[in-house]
Amino acid sequence: MIFMKMVQVGFSYPGQKKPLLNDINFSIHKEGITALTGPNGVGKTTLSKLMVGILAPSTGHITLKGQNMSSMALAQIGRLVGYVFQNPEKQLFCPTVSEEIGFGLQNLELPEHEVQRLVKENLAYFELEHLAQNFPLQLSEGEKRRLAIAAVLVLEPELLVLDEPTTGLDAYRKHLLGECLLKLVASKRGVFMISHDSNFIDRYASRILILENGRLKENGC
Amino acid sequence: MGVKLAVKMINLDPRAKIVIVLCLSTLAVFFNTPGLLLIVLIITLLLLQIFQVKYISLIYKFRRLLPVLFVLLFIQSAFTGHGQVLVAFGDVHILTTGGVSSASCVLLRMLILFGSAMIIATSNSRDYVLALVELKIPYEIAFMVLIALRFLPVFVQEAKDTLIAIQLRGVDMQKVAWGKKIKVFTYIFSPLVSNVLLKANQLAISMEARGFRLYPRRTYLRVLKYNSLDYLITILSLSITLVVLTLSIIR
Ligand SMILES: Nc1ncnc2c1ncn2[C@@H]1O[C@H](COP(=O)(O)OP(=O)(O)O)[C@@H](O)[C@H]1O
Ligand SMILES: [Mg+2]
Repeated sequence: MIFMKMVQVGFSYPGQKKPLLNDINFSIHKEGITALTGPNGVGKTTLSKLMVGILAPSTGHITLKGQNMSSMALAQIGRLVGYVFQNPEKQLFCPTVSEEIGFGLQNLELPEHEVQRLVKENLAYFELEHLAQNFPLQLSEGEKRRLAIAAVLVLEPELLVLDEPTTGLDAYRKHLLGECLLKLVASKRGVFMISHDSNFIDRYASRILILENGRLKENGC
Repeated sequence: MGVKLAVKMINLDPRAKIVIVLCLSTLAVFFNTPGLLLIVLIITLLLLQIFQVKYISLIYKFRRLLPVLFVLLFIQSAFTGHGQVLVAFGDVHILTTGGVSSASCVLLRMLILFGSAMIIATSNSRDYVLALVELKIPYEIAFMVLIALRFLPVFVQEAKDTLIAIQLRGVDMQKVAWGKKIKVFTYIFSPLVSNVLLKANQLAISMEARGFRLYPRRTYLRVLKYNSLDYLITILSLSITLVVLTLSIIR
């Protein structure tokens, strides 16, 4: 079943003469890791923001599980699609690291011990236990990114969208992230990531899309 | 001709613009009859027209205030007994001419104040800092104002992004109750404050590293000059305002 579909999507920011994105058509199934690459400033981040409803397309439409995305609330979309911002600072807003991970869970009306168990589990997996009571915005770059990913993943979205997730991660953490993405894929979830990291893409991606001059090309590999 | 005039007006010294705005808002605050306020509003709109500011959207935005104005209209009518009664329900005055006039005064005043603020917005914020410097305000302070203006949109954007992130993690802003909404806003605040402090700190360091405040004076690439049109406008607006004010006080 098609999970997300973009139909003739075009987008331009207010005041832009030439549309940034033009006639984008593609579907995402909940399988494998899709990578999106392209030069700086072509609109990769913009495309990913369209995928989670942060921006609305200027032309065309996007469906999520068959439903038009423009009729869905961000909170609804967030349950299905997890989004990790290019700048992880933008999505950290809680006073401590463990609250940051627990925030989404608390909105799901889970029992408290369940929330605590999941928070602990994720703190351990992303090696953030020793920082559990720290202020998120004072972590190092790599730690912030791990935290941002953990805070989204804990909600178990069906599709995870990551905007340049490997920036700022050391080789070992990249490996951890890759393994984590593979685990997601194994549990029948999809991953869509924007990346310039060709080693990372070659190693993990099963489908590669290239954005150039506002158009999307599929690399049949 | 029209375009030329607009360019001349937009390039007016920011201090002259401040004088115009001060005059308009003084009159707006001073007058309290709808007729006079309407005249001031028309003058404001004419000025906006000359500055080629698109003010229609401003007026359109005010429709959101209409419910508040209606409440005001009825409260004023019921409790301030002056004017003729237009609609009454038993002994309770629902609508009086006094109520209508005070509610329209409020609306007109707000339109004038917002409209004249739009005149200010026709100059670059940088120019107002230069104006402060010309007024012999220490440039450290002028610079602080400039930086605050420069970073304001950045912080607004940051707050918006945080709000999006919160919603994506399952908070439906349309559905949460008011009490909880306030809690959500505290979540927006903490990263914002921490970011402001962080940016201020980094900025201070990088500015000192580039020699800011090493010497008591600083070279400005653009120097404001009060020219004849600026003087003309300043004198004209001040004298008209003074004359009008004295006349209405004497009467
Ligand atoms: N909020 C915005 N308003 C106006 N222009 C924007 C905005 N965000 C990004 N842009 C512009 O859109 C283009 C694409 O940006 P982006 O999607 O971030 O590119 P990428 O992620 O591929 O590097 C850039 O030229 C950028 O300047
Ligand atoms: Mg980007």
